[in-house]
Amino acid sequence: MIECKKLSKKYRSHSALSNLNCIIRENTITGVIGRNGAGKTTFMKLIAGYLKKTSGELRVMEENPFTSLKVSANSIFIDDQMSLPTSLTLRELLNSFARFYPNWNEPLAKELMTYFQLPQKAYVQNLSKGMRSTFHAIIGFAARCPLTIYDEPTTGMDAAVRKDFYRALLKDYLAYPRTILLSSHHLEEIENLLEDVLIIHNQNAFMHLSVSELKESVVAVKGDKAAVSEFTSMHNKLSINEVVPGMAMAIVQVNNYIRRENFPKLTFSNLTANEAFIYLTDSQEGGIDRVFERSELD
Amino acid sequence: MKFYEESDLPIYIQVAEWLENEILRGQFGPDDKIYSQYQLADLFTINPATAGKGLSILFENDILYKKRGLGMFVTPHARSVILSKRKNEKLTLLVNGIVDEAERLEVPFDELIDMLNRAKMKNIGERQE
Repeated sequence: MIECKKLSKKYRSHSALSNLNCIIRENTITGVIGRNGAGKTTFMKLIAGYLKKTSGELRVMEENPFTSLKVSANSIFIDDQMSLPTSLTLRELLNSFARFYPNWNEPLAKELMTYFQLPQKAYVQNLSKGMRSTFHAIIGFAARCPLTIYDEPTTGMDAAVRKDFYRALLKDYLAYPRTILLSSHHLEEIENLLEDVLIIHNQNAFMHLSVSELKESVVAVKGDKAAVSEFTSMHNKLSINEVVPGMAMAIVQVNNYIRRENFPKLTFSNLTANEAFIYLTDSQEGGIDRVFERSELD
Repeated sequence: MKFYEESDLPIYIQVAEWLENEILRGQFGPDDKIYSQYQLADLFTINPATAGKGLSILFENDILYKKRGLGMFVTPHARSVILSKRKNEKLTLLVNGIVDEAERLEVPFDELIDMLNRAKMKNIGERQE
């Protein structure tokens, strides 16, 4: 469905994406995860054809999305700031989407508007942040596009609505399978929905794997300081600290399965997918604590 | 959703274990059709691929078999496969853990056997009530 080779995007001299490679299969739900400013939105807007690439290759449905009518008619990009005309009511907006998208599911749109208590006669600019995001999400469901992209769709939604949104996303996907890209800062909320996770880090596709592979790629080890050091010397150490004198705890990236029984002196524990992601993309050794330590030294 | 809040097992393994429990408690008998990956996805709000992975673990372990175009069914010997697998894996692991902990706490082996007996008696007593 989507193929990127050495895809790059620059805004003037500022590089937002550089040499990104990835392939996204048809009818999968992929979570696009990254720290602030990593390039998630740029990546998704390039795919939707909203932005023109600077260099590299990008094929969506076998075409260049920036100039493709096919991509435009078969994809939808949902975020919290979709520029919708302010002179039309919600109902009129839905009607115009219905005219553009051939698979538009009007009964679903109607039911969802009622369920989330969105008044048909309201205007988008008068909606609260959360209700506006909900309205955008409804458009995303009802458009039933083969490629549906949600960039931070739950901004402003309260916990109950977010839960409904994720459930609706899954149910709709089961009924009408399609390719979905979903970015969020709350990996723990979406991980069970995802087939794959694409981690964008430093303007690049850092990892592309399943949620369980992400979890298994990072472990926490605790134990005698010497034993922990010996273990970390064999693997990619992401963080280590001395909990109490003589006892250390380390976070380690592992490439293959660790036979835990071979390390009787160490205690292993798993991380959540979100914790694994944070450690893997933490470029600053020591984290925020180090900043305070440094500033106190000055 | 998490089936067991404290569990840090991957979801597909939790799905497989949940289905095994359903078979153990008689919800599905030999040659019964089991939930499809889409039903499981809907039931637990998880990705259908994850649910499918759970099903294929059971298929590989000879607990389920496939009928082309019809879905997955419980094998006639599913129960005994699950029971012996659990005995070999889970129970062995738990017993090892108990023996290790007893040694750490310097509990003599005889006393450990007594504790096991008491636990057994307690269960029998509860069943009679």
